[in-house]
Amino acid sequence: MIRRTRIPNLGGAKAVVLHRPHAGVEALTRQLGAIGLEVEEAWPELPASAAGADFLFFDVDLGFEEQFPWAPGEAPMPLVALIGSEAPGRIEWALSRQADAQLLKPVGSAGVYAALLIARRAFDERRRLAAEIASLRERVAERQTVVRAVVALSSRTTNEEQAYAQLRALAMSWQVTLEEAARRVVDLKTGEGSHERPRRA
Amino acid sequence: MKRRIDIGILYSRSGSYPLLGEASRAGALGAIEAVNADPGRSIAFEPVERDPAGRIDAYAPLAAEILRDTPARHVVGCITSWSRKEIIPALEKQGGLLWYAAPYEGFEANDHVVYLNASPNQHLVPLVAHVAARFGRDAFLVGSNYIWGWEMNRIARDLVADAGGEVRGERYLPLGDTDVSRLIEEIRATAPAFVLNNLIGPSSYAFYAAYAALGRDDPRFRPERRPIVSCNLTESELPSIAPFGEGHLACLPFVHDGGPGPRSSFEAAAHAAVTVLADAIEAAGTDAPDAVRRVLASRPHVTALGTIRIDARTQHAALPVKIARIAGPRFEVLEESRGAVEPDPYLSHYDPAATFRPGLRLVR
Repeated sequence: MIRRTRIPNLGGAKAVVLHRPHAGVEALTRQLGAIGLEVEEAWPELPASAAGADFLFFDVDLGFEEQFPWAPGEAPMPLVALIGSEAPGRIEWALSRQADAQLLKPVGSAGVYAALLIARRAFDERRRLAAEIASLRERVAERQTVVRAVVALSSRTTNEEQAYAQLRALAMSWQVTLEEAARRVVDLKTGEGSHERPRRA
Repeated sequence: MKRRIDIGILYSRSGSYPLLGEASRAGALGAIEAVNADPGRSIAFEPVERDPAGRIDAYAPLAAEILRDTPARHVVGCITSWSRKEIIPALEKQGGLLWYAAPYEGFEANDHVVYLNASPNQHLVPLVAHVAARFGRDAFLVGSNYIWGWEMNRIARDLVADAGGEVRGERYLPLGDTDVSRLIEEIRATAPAFVLNNLIGPSSYAFYAAYAALGRDDPRFRPERRPIVSCNLTESELPSIAPFGEGHLACLPFVHDGGPGPRSSFEAAAHAAVTVLADAIEAAGTDAPDAVRRVLASRPHVTALGTIRIDARTQHAALPVKIARIAGPRFEVLEESRGAVEPDPYLSHYDPAATFRPGLRLVR
């Protein structure tokens, strides 16, 4: 998918900088302000208000697991790693937190805007992929339901192919996924069965 | 006895945009003269001039030379964004401050640069809003093949889309190229409501001449029907396009009223840069760039651009916005902002709904 970047609307966006006050990140706060973001600095605790932030910049040098109230990879906003020491263990940790972009310290005037756009794009893309994978997993899990629905719709006069076409037509008219339609068909059949049993008894 | 302070002047006097360099240089030197002659000033400036002659690779070494080999801590200079970006590493390394007085495409706010001319919310956004409401929303975008043209046209594509229009074409010419015949054919074939011109120097002059010829041939392309609009065409270049510029539009922070003083917005902005620098050095009591930066925004400055303020966060000037039509050797102002427009170099506060009020009433 090719998306052209529009004028990015960063005005009024909120950034939290999780870093102890330090000369190496002064320019970051200034630059975020110049770009039009509201900036909140925090260390070492991430305030509750951070949950509503649009971007989180975090220190890789002194950062630690317990600072984040969410599991690795599940941050609700794009993350930008602030890297000072390039020690492999620290890079590894930044990777485990799934940073969407990085800035090297000391942070200068250049690079902050690019990091914001890259992090935003990477985060959106990661979210989109996660949603797509979840939906594909769901569909894979429902394979058996689809088979059962096709069997249920087949009869002496309709073969599998016609039954499958019928299932698709049902999904379209109900405006649901094929898997959801299959589930309904299976439920209906099971429902019929459970009604029939007492009658027979 | 005035304290003597050296300042660098870095404008190209030859190459593919010498008129802009000359206009800016004249503004800076004129302001230096005014500062030196002003008995109320405690300082006098000594210009340290270098001429990159339009060669992009000459800018960084010359800027480094000024900052390294002379006492100057401040450089007034650069026309193109390309040259500005070239010298930023030298400014950072030597701790210098650039006073940049050309209109540019925005999306920058460097500590080492003070921006004295307009950025997109002060030129392109009001210009597209103006023409979309009067001539139509469909645009053809042309530009010289470097960052100014690319970025201006990128922003314009979004603006045109937000206005409800369509970009009929987007074409680039190498810097200095004057073969505009293909551009003109495409514009004729696509008949946009206006043409956004981001060409510079001789390419731009050739384009106005060829467009005028098209208009003589086909009245649909006369300026009153389909104007060429620009954010960097000033009085300094009107003689180069006369009489072919007549009736076309530009958006500028300053328009020459025929009186004494700066004769174009390039000249006025470079003049203003030196004035603000003098004010700031006097207020700080030193020409040390850090001290100068800290006092920049503390008060308004009376300059050739009018009374202006510098925004502390972005180091960009709040400026008047004037939309003007070429009339003979001058511009006549058609529309102007009430007061100065705050700088918004990242277009963080751009609001499409407020910029382009719908042409049709909403049916509820």
